[in-house]
Amino acid sequence: MRNTYLRLMQLVTGILIAVLLAIHIVIMHLNAILGFFGVDVTEPTSWESMIGRASQAIWVGLYIALLAVVLYHALNGLRGIILELTPSARTKRIATWVIIAFGIIAFIGGSYVPLALLIS
Amino acid sequence: MKQMQPRQNYLGPGGWVWAGKYKLERYLYLLHRITGLGILLFLILHLCMTTIFRIQGQDVWEATMALLHNPWFKIGEYLVCAAFIYHALNGLRLILQELGFALGRPTPPVYPYKDALRKKRPWTIAMIAVIAILALVFFYDFIVGGW
Repeated sequence: MRNTYLRLMQLVTGILIAVLLAIHIVIMHLNAILGFFGVDVTEPTSWESMIGRASQAIWVGLYIALLAVVLYHALNGLRGIILELTPSARTKRIATWVIIAFGIIAFIGGSYVPLALLIS
Repeated sequence: MKQMQPRQNYLGPGGWVWAGKYKLERYLYLLHRITGLGILLFLILHLCMTTIFRIQGQDVWEATMALLHNPWFKIGEYLVCAAFIYHALNGLRLILQELGFALGRPTPPVYPYKDALRKKRPWTIAMIAVIAILALVFFYDFIVGGW
């Protein structure tokens, strides 16, 4: 029953990621095509452009939301693959807790840095 | 209820690739898994780059970016983009079909039978076409932007 809800969340986060990550990738990579449509994106990986986004609360919120759903989707998918290899109950438990710990650490690290940059 | 014996027909990761005659959709599933694991690997590198290197200030960030504008990293970035396009569109197809859409009307089982796989095959072909077009659009942009 518990895994059923995890699976349902996998579908919901999948749809959210398809939208949020598409925005992220189009802004980061399709500068020639965005320029054709009149959207001016000047070198999104430069320090000025990055700080410009990092000082706007809407971008920081969008990225932290994206981080949360991506981490859930990726780590739940990885756990699904590990569980499909039918490990013992002990290995299953260890894998689950390692994945949860990794997810929490990655989320704290990944949301601390943009928040620190936003405040400073 | 009788306890299931999970390792009776166990093939392990080898079974992902070959366990009899797989159809197109089964290989798409394998590719879905491979692209998922690849994107997970990229995500870890990406998070290191945008946290550990970014917090150290402008000089470290610009040195990292200069390294990442190397053509080999650009090719890798393109592969990640293509993997994302594939994983997203195949995932949307899987979600729709899991919820019962795009499967075609049920028909009475009269010979010659039309199985579910053949009814949803046109959607699969359409999805592959959209993926190819989007991958080409991204390829164009990566070429124009310079490697």
